[in-house]
Amino acid sequence: MLVFILRRLLSGVILIAVISFLAYVLLYAAGGDIPRRILGENATAETVAKKAEELGLDRPLLAQYWDWVTSIFTGDLGRSWFSGELVTVSVANRIAVTLSIVIGATLVSAIISVVVGVLAARRGGAIDGSVQVFSLIGFAIPGFLIALLLVLVFAINLGWFKATGYIPLTTSVSGWLSSVTLPIIALSIGAIAVVTQQVRGSVIDAMSRDYVRTLRSRGLSANSVVYRHVLRNAGGPALAVLAVQFIGLLGGSVIVEQVFAIPGMGQLSVRATTLGDIPVVMGLVIAFAVIVIIVNLLIDLAQAALNPKVRLS
Amino acid sequence: MIRWKKVASAAAIAAAAALIMTGCAGGGGTTDGGGGDSGRADRLTLTAIIGPTSYDIGAGAEYGNRSPFFQAVFDTLLQKNSKGEIEPWLATAWEYNEDNTVLTLTLRDDVTFTDGTPLDAAAVVGSLERFRDGTSPQAATLAGKEFAAVDDTTVTITQDAPDPSLVNLLSIAPGLIQAPSSFDDPDSATNPVGSGPYVLDTAASVTGTTYVYTANPDYWNPDVVKYDNLTINVIEDPTATLNALKAGEANGAKIVTNDTIPEIESSGWTIESNELDFQGLLLFDRAGTMAPELADVKVRQAINMAFDREALLQALQSGYGTVTEQVFPTTSVGYDDALDSTYAYDPDAAKELLADAGYPDGFTLNMMSTPAFQTTFDLVAQQLADIGITVNYTDPGASNFITDMLAPKYPATWMQLEQNPDWQLINFMIAPQATFNPFHSEDPKVNEYITTIQMGTEDEAAQATADLNAYLVDQAWFAPFFRVQGTFAVDANTNLEFWPTNAYPSIFGFSPKS
Repeated sequence: MLVFILRRLLSGVILIAVISFLAYVLLYAAGGDIPRRILGENATAETVAKKAEELGLDRPLLAQYWDWVTSIFTGDLGRSWFSGELVTVSVANRIAVTLSIVIGATLVSAIISVVVGVLAARRGGAIDGSVQVFSLIGFAIPGFLIALLLVLVFAINLGWFKATGYIPLTTSVSGWLSSVTLPIIALSIGAIAVVTQQVRGSVIDAMSRDYVRTLRSRGLSANSVVYRHVLRNAGGPALAVLAVQFIGLLGGSVIVEQVFAIPGMGQLSVRATTLGDIPVVMGLVIAFAVIVIIVNLLIDLAQAALNPKVRLS
Repeated sequence: MIRWKKVASAAAIAAAAALIMTGCAGGGGTTDGGGGDSGRADRLTLTAIIGPTSYDIGAGAEYGNRSPFFQAVFDTLLQKNSKGEIEPWLATAWEYNEDNTVLTLTLRDDVTFTDGTPLDAAAVVGSLERFRDGTSPQAATLAGKEFAAVDDTTVTITQDAPDPSLVNLLSIAPGLIQAPSSFDDPDSATNPVGSGPYVLDTAASVTGTTYVYTANPDYWNPDVVKYDNLTINVIEDPTATLNALKAGEANGAKIVTNDTIPEIESSGWTIESNELDFQGLLLFDRAGTMAPELADVKVRQAINMAFDREALLQALQSGYGTVTEQVFPTTSVGYDDALDSTYAYDPDAAKELLADAGYPDGFTLNMMSTPAFQTTFDLVAQQLADIGITVNYTDPGASNFITDMLAPKYPATWMQLEQNPDWQLINFMIAPQATFNPFHSEDPKVNEYITTIQMGTEDEAAQATADLNAYLVDQAWFAPFFRVQGTFAVDANTNLEFWPTNAYPSIFGFSPKS
């Protein structure tokens, strides 16, 4: 087990190294005239050249990348070219915001999907039919449209939640809830649609298996069979789908954070990428990669815990 | 089952908490309550479309849409009032020598920076030098100037030749004074030390997104500070800005999409506006080195006649703005209303002019485009096609748009440009070395007018500015379409006197309605 975890972590580090290099090269290629973008149209050519020198952009790509790599080991990811903020501070501030929303949305969608999925699988008929229809609708409506509708109804008309901005949990619990609830709902709906279908399918599939018949013949109650045994078996595939959803939600948070003007990683990614703020983009690439690697590792461990037949090797 | 019950009850608690807190959900922007002294209101909440790049004035000092961030924490040497006139601020008096090469400023003696160090002549000199030698967008405006502290409250600025824009510059970014004690601190990019009306609360702020300020308790001019707290939220998405307004989460907001104005007004907000930018074609290659056709003034005039400016204003800005054919703003001494009807929309006359110039079948013009303004580019191409000019667009990519424009890689381009005060405008788009004169177009008459504006008396300069403006319209150096309305919305609790000469209002322009 320990060897497995260490191995995965090692491959994670190699992955990050490869991703960071590719990201750097791609950003550089797509960069264009970054000093001009920082300074705007009012600056003269001389000031623009001076800025390029100040940022080290007049040096070869590999030299710049090497400096970036070596400074990482001292914990220095540099400063944003567009806000002067330390990249480590920038990313750290925003991780909490994005994870609030993405973990919230993952939990909400996991809970609702399991309840509704099991219900649809066991009851069938009209319930199953309506679940299917709602899943389809939830899957088809784009996230930003749901977000806009939620703002209009629950923030502007009813005034129950904040329409824009983010209040940290440490500042105020109610404020935090008021700023994350709508984004979480907006982000969950698509995920619920997908995971519910997965749970429903897995449960139906498991219910027809021989072991279920055996369990039932031993006189176990239907609930006990479903919740103690079937779900355990159906849990594996559902968990895998949930992991993919989690990573997908990280991407989905980009739009939701824009709509709600929330200072998360998604919003920062869009801004930094369009501006060509290389230090910030690189910081985010590393942060996203680390999150994805950790999530995948945790899912593997959870799979193994759920189903001892899954070997960690 | 038990586990699910726990989850369900946790969810119920969360939902209940969400309902309990709803009472304070939209409370970000209240101006009620006369907290603090001198009848100040508690908090002013604004939205801006862009945050500061660096609070270090040597790296990022800027006005325009970034002005409120700098104005909150720093003072300028001089100040502009709501009519755009220059008034005393840190400097109580200013005077030129006879040939306008030395400006002497007298400073207040009762100002300290928020770290407790005194704001004296040495600090002012240090700050001006930092701006001049740094990489702020306007750094070049102080190039070649020397600063000296005569005594604790007297500073001189010496220059080789008169600079008619200098006094104005000292009321905007170049005139911002930062505490020299913070020069060597790398954190000054995000943690400014100035003498301004507010202090940035770095713990409550999120760089790039939310800037929270508290009133400076030791401010030398407390009467102008109308709020105990100031919050500026950077919201880039126009829909989110609109949502913040409608949910009552801001007292004032910069509006970039003018077609939302009717919706904002119907929600009870007041619109304040000015006109700073013009949109139109910049006919750069006036000597015809890249596009020989543009060397002929008749061709440039024909291009001016090709545009139905009213229709363009309606189509592109929902009518918010004013059509114009000159690049000088209405606030300029050189502005002349009559010039705006020099080139009436007349495609047939334009075709005749082209034929006179030797292009009866028209020609092809290479210009640049960018997807964000596709409608504009389509309309421009269509109107030019109507007089026989075929536009061949290249998209250099948004990030290279200005670089390629100034390289220069195209003989003409569509652009939205700032209409600065006269001398700045001349050095921005007309003078031989101006940034937006990338082909370095020169004309003896233009040079003569520029010299008079720089060296002449006030009256001579005003006349020369008017003559220059008329000459540029006659010579069709540009083909302006319209001035764009700059829009700011304020809620029912807030008064605003909008600056006529900046994209964002002065933070001193806001006051609570009693």
